[in-house]
Amino acid sequence: MTPNPTQWLLEDAAVTVPSASTVKGVLRLRSPRIAASAQPGQFVNVAVPGHVLRRPMAVAWAQDDELELVITARGEATQRLLSAQSGSSWSLIGPLGRSFPLPEGPGVIVTGGSGAGPGLFLAWRLAQAGRPVVLLHGARVGDEAFVADRAAGLGVRAVMHTEDGSLGLRGYPTASLRSEALALAEQYASPPTVYAVGPNALMAAAARVAAQENWDAWVSLEEAMACGVGACLSCACQVRDATGQPIQAHVCVDGPVFPAARVSWPLGA
Amino acid sequence: MNTSFDPSSFDPFAGLSFLGLNFKNPIVTASGTFNFGREYAHLYDLSELGGLTTKGTSLHPRAGNPTPRVAETPAGMLNAIGLENKGVEHYVTDELPWLRESFDTKVIVNVFGETPAEFAAVASRLGRWPHLLELNLSCPNVHGGALPFASDPKATEAVVRAVKDATDLPVIVKLSPNTDHLRTAQAAEAAGANGFSLINTILAAKIDTRTGRSALAYGTGGLSGPAVLPVAVRMVMQLARATSLPILGMGGVAGADDALQLAMAGATLVAVGTATFTNPIAPLEIARGLRDRLAAEGRSWGDVVGLALRP
Repeated sequence: MTPNPTQWLLEDAAVTVPSASTVKGVLRLRSPRIAASAQPGQFVNVAVPGHVLRRPMAVAWAQDDELELVITARGEATQRLLSAQSGSSWSLIGPLGRSFPLPEGPGVIVTGGSGAGPGLFLAWRLAQAGRPVVLLHGARVGDEAFVADRAAGLGVRAVMHTEDGSLGLRGYPTASLRSEALALAEQYASPPTVYAVGPNALMAAAARVAAQENWDAWVSLEEAMACGVGACLSCACQVRDATGQPIQAHVCVDGPVFPAARVSWPLGA
Repeated sequence: MNTSFDPSSFDPFAGLSFLGLNFKNPIVTASGTFNFGREYAHLYDLSELGGLTTKGTSLHPRAGNPTPRVAETPAGMLNAIGLENKGVEHYVTDELPWLRESFDTKVIVNVFGETPAEFAAVASRLGRWPHLLELNLSCPNVHGGALPFASDPKATEAVVRAVKDATDLPVIVKLSPNTDHLRTAQAAEAAGANGFSLINTILAAKIDTRTGRSALAYGTGGLSGPAVLPVAVRMVMQLARATSLPILGMGGVAGADDALQLAMAGATLVAVGTATFTNPIAPLEIARGLRDRLAAEGRSWGDVVGLALRP
C-alpha cells in the first residue's frame, strides 16, 4: 500500500464544465488546492446542500487547478450534481485515501460502471508517464460511450465492453484481460500490472486472473462511509496483513486502493 | 463611568465552569464522530474547542458490526458501528498523551463495558489522562437481544458505583432516548453520578426498497442529525427540571441557534456530532457563531442556560 501523500483539505469548488447528461456523466470543477495534489485512486467527499452525509467520489482526472468526477445518478444528491450549473459552488474535502502505485511495466486497467472515473485518471497518468496502458471498460448497456470519448480525449486506448453487445465487445471486460495483458507484456518485454475498479465480482475476477499469472494487481474497494477521513469507522473492510493474517481496515484511510492479494475474496454482497 | 458596550472585547463564556472544570467555550465534540481528534487536528486548532469527547473506549479491542454501518435518512443518518475501538491500552499509550500535550482543551473519554467491572477497569486504566468520563450505558448498537444498562435502574446504579469507586474524575452518564431517561438519571444520581449527557441516538431503521432489506447490516441503527434536535431539546428540558446536576446537551446541533436552544433548555455544555460529517469545521464554526451572537446581544452564557425553564 502506498503512503498517504497529503493531508486532506476543505475547499469550495466551482463547476467549470457541467455534465452533458443528468443520468451519467463527467463534472469538471475548479478546486485548485485539491486538484494540485490528487492522485489516481484517491477520492473527494462532496457536500450536497440538504444532505447530512457527503458523497464520496473518486477523482476521474486532475490537472493544474481543475478536477473531474464521473457521476452516476443514484438518488437525489447525485442527480443534483449531474444538474449542477456552470459556476455553482460545492464543498469538497480531499484528496482522501491511498492512490494506485505506478507500475514498472505496462498497465492493464479493468473498470465497470463508475469505476471508469478512477480508471481514466490512472490510464491518463500512466500514459503521461510513458507507460503502455489499456483501459478495458464494461457496462451493462451502451449508455457509457462518454467513457470512450473521454479516453480518446486523454489519449488513452480504451476497449469498451457491454453485456448486450450494443457498444464495443459483447461480454465482461475481464474476458479481454488475459489477452490484452499478455500482448502488452510481450510487446514491452515486461510483466503487466493489473488494476481493477468496479463491482466486487469484476474485481474478484480480475484478481483471479492476475493471481494465476503471478501479475501484481490492485483493486479499489467501496463501503458506505460518513466522514471519509478515518474518524467514524463506518467503512470497515476485511483484508490480510503482509503475513496473511486477517485484519480489519477502513476503506477511507487504509484504502480505497488495496493489493488484490490482500483482499479476502469474495467480499460481502 | 463608561457605559458604551464593545462586543469585541466581551467574552460571553467568561467563567464557564462544568463540574469544577473551566471551559473556554461550551462546544465539545460528540463521541463517535471525532475519534480522538487526530483526523481533524491539521484542519484547525483543537484548542479552540471547549472540549472533545472521544470514541467509546472499552477494556479490550472491539471489531464492531458488519457493513454497511451507515445510511442517510431525511435530515439525518443511521449508524450501527458497534463500538469498534482499539481498547483502552492503545488510547492511553498512543492517543491521550498526544491529545493532552498538544491542545489546551478539555478531554472527555466515553467509556463502555460489558459489565460494571469492565467499566471500572477502563476508568481505572484511563488514570488522569481525561478531565471527565462519560459513561455509555445506552449504545443502541451493541447489545444484540439484550437491553442496555440504561433500561434497568439497578444495572445503572451498579455501573456508576463501580466507576466512582475506580476513579477520582468527575463522571457523567449518557442518557438514551430509547429508555425512560428520568428513571435512569435518578438511579445514576443516587449512585453518585456527577452530571449527565444526552441524548444518545434514537433507535431506528431504514429499508432499502431495491432489496427489501434493512439498509444496515446490523438491522437497526441509531438516528442522529438535525432530525433529532427537537427530541433532544424536549429531553434536556425534562431532565433539567428533574435534577440540579449539570447537563451536556446534544442531538442534531448543526448551528449556533441549535446550540442556544439546548442551552436554554438547561444544558451547560453542548456537543456537536453528526454535523462534523457534513462540515468538518462545524464545531469550530458553531463555537464562534455562538460567541458572536451572544456578544452582539450583550448576553453571557449564564444568562441563557436554563432560560426556557424560568417562570
